[in-house]
Amino acid sequence: MIRFENVTKTYDPNIVGLKDVNVHIERGEFAFLVGHSGSGKSTFIRLLLKEFEPTKGSIAVAGRNLGRMRRAAVPHHRRSIGCVFQDFKLLPNRSVAENVAYALRVTGQPVRSIRRKVPEILQLVGLGEKMNNLPDELSAGEQQRVSVARAFVNHPSLLVADEPTGNLDPDTSVGIMQLLYRINRTGTTVLMATHDREMVDKMRKRVIALEEGSVVRDEDKGLYR
Amino acid sequence: MKLRFFLSEALDSLVRNWVMSVAAIVTVLVSMFVLGIGAVIFVNLEQASSSVRSKLEIEVFMKNTASPDQISQLGDQIRAMPEVRVVNYVSKEEAMNRLRESMKGHEDVLAALSGNPLPPSYEIYLKDPSLIDSVASRFYDNPNVDNDSIAHLGANMSPDATTLKFSTGDPSKLAAIAANMYLIVDNEVMKASGDPSGNNVSVIRAQAGTTAAAHNANAEVYNTDGVKTGGNTSDRVITVTHYIEMGGAGFVALLAVASILLISNTIRLSIFARRREVEIMRLVGATSWFIRWPFIMEGIFTGLVGATGAMVLFLLVQKYFIDKIISQMPFMGMGVDTVSTFWLILSIIGGGCLLGSLGSSLALRRFLKI
Ligand SMILES: Nc1ncnc2c1ncn2[C@@H]1O[C@H](COP(=O)(O)OP(=O)(O)O)[C@@H](O)[C@H]1O
Ligand SMILES: [Mg+2]
Repeated sequence: MIRFENVTKTYDPNIVGLKDVNVHIERGEFAFLVGHSGSGKSTFIRLLLKEFEPTKGSIAVAGRNLGRMRRAAVPHHRRSIGCVFQDFKLLPNRSVAENVAYALRVTGQPVRSIRRKVPEILQLVGLGEKMNNLPDELSAGEQQRVSVARAFVNHPSLLVADEPTGNLDPDTSVGIMQLLYRINRTGTTVLMATHDREMVDKMRKRVIALEEGSVVRDEDKGLYR
Repeated sequence: MKLRFFLSEALDSLVRNWVMSVAAIVTVLVSMFVLGIGAVIFVNLEQASSSVRSKLEIEVFMKNTASPDQISQLGDQIRAMPEVRVVNYVSKEEAMNRLRESMKGHEDVLAALSGNPLPPSYEIYLKDPSLIDSVASRFYDNPNVDNDSIAHLGANMSPDATTLKFSTGDPSKLAAIAANMYLIVDNEVMKASGDPSGNNVSVIRAQAGTTAAAHNANAEVYNTDGVKTGGNTSDRVITVTHYIEMGGAGFVALLAVASILLISNTIRLSIFARRREVEIMRLVGATSWFIRWPFIMEGIFTGLVGATGAMVLFLLVQKYFIDKIISQMPFMGMGVDTVSTFWLILSIIGGGCLLGSLGSSLALRRFLKI
């Protein structure tokens, strides 16, 4: 599903983002990307979304080589990946339902199917009652659920989350974790960057550890350490 | 279906960011209004100057010795010239009638004339007044034309008041002619015959030294600085209208550029305030055009509302201001052309839409680079 080959990303002027990274993640896997702040987790995810190009190496997602992808194809690429961020990235002036609907609208789905799918997915994340609220009327945990709903409403084959529990208290984090776990059980590949030691240790999933941009450990059913 | 979504997005964001929307609308309104006023002033100046120019003419006097054949031959020759717009033949009798008409109240001057000394002439109106000298010069070597009296006539506010207009390029020659064989009547007569400007000196041909009036008039000619040789006048009129045209076009162009910059800047500000939103949309997989359309429609709407406001304001100003001013100045011979009002409205609205959409697309370019 994800294939990084000798990927190096250097930021201007000379800051290491990633250094010679080789990672393969299979379809349907659940993987953690762990490491200290500044170790390159976000860089990894932003490269996946083709927000910028690697300095060296090649990246393929779902069999498509990002280096050879035309600019016009980038929006389609992003639609096939659901993403969740630490700061939620919800549109501030739109209701919960409209935020989720936006991900469907960009794909050009008919209004009728949007009207059906949005309440469905919001029910699934437990926000059926708050469809018409604005994001800042929700708690942080609820906002993150909206963001997960938006990421999953298109049923992407890959879902990436960059420290989705970074702004949440432990109990709320567990709820988000459970959501991601359920999404993975539907066959969706999930890649989650985090430095939440407890969570990683509890889940016993694959752990890819980064340090100063390099992969220092990659093991199945691993611990954070 | 998409269109509805884009439209409602555009309207939503107009209402949500109403302070910015109002700022953008007012910007469009003010610049379109100023632009409209500039355009009307320019159009009217153009009209006024071209109406002045259309009164410029050349008058070619025949020698009294010219035969009817020679006269009609010259007429054909003039008509064949491509620069000529209209030719009028003024016969001896017609010239006398005109003279009588304009000399009402001064019949004693006419009584002094023996017979009809006035020569027949051709009045020539040109398509392009700037060619006046080059066309006039063609008559100088015609043996049947009275060379000294080829008249390049300047702006005459009231063509009806003219009698026999005459001038030569050389004022000293004028004096000599006057002394020898012409009766010269100065602007006193013009006033009496109803020329509202009273500035034009009319020169009437008559037999030399026939009346005392002639000598009196002679004296006046020598020291009147109101004597205008038509050649100079037409040159001046043409130069001035050129400056007016160039200045007006430059002014309007400047205003247009200023408006586009103002509008695109205002829209850029409003997009800049929402750049985080744009970034989120891109991450969710929206194409550039999907993001762009609502902004462009917003721009069009802004332009449309602003331009309509400008138009209403403009029509009010025209009704209560410009029309009044113009009615105070009948001699200007101009009014805001009512036919062009339709085009003005159309171009203001079209311009508003164009400015709005252009402004928003320009402003968006910076934020939609992947
Ligand atoms: N846009 C950027 N410009 C310059 N340096 C950056 C940029 N983004 C990240 N970095 C640097 O790259 C390194 C990796 O950052 P990041 O991938 O964000 O780490 P993490 O997400 O693990 O905290 C850090 O040293 C960071 O300062
Ligand atoms: Mg990070």
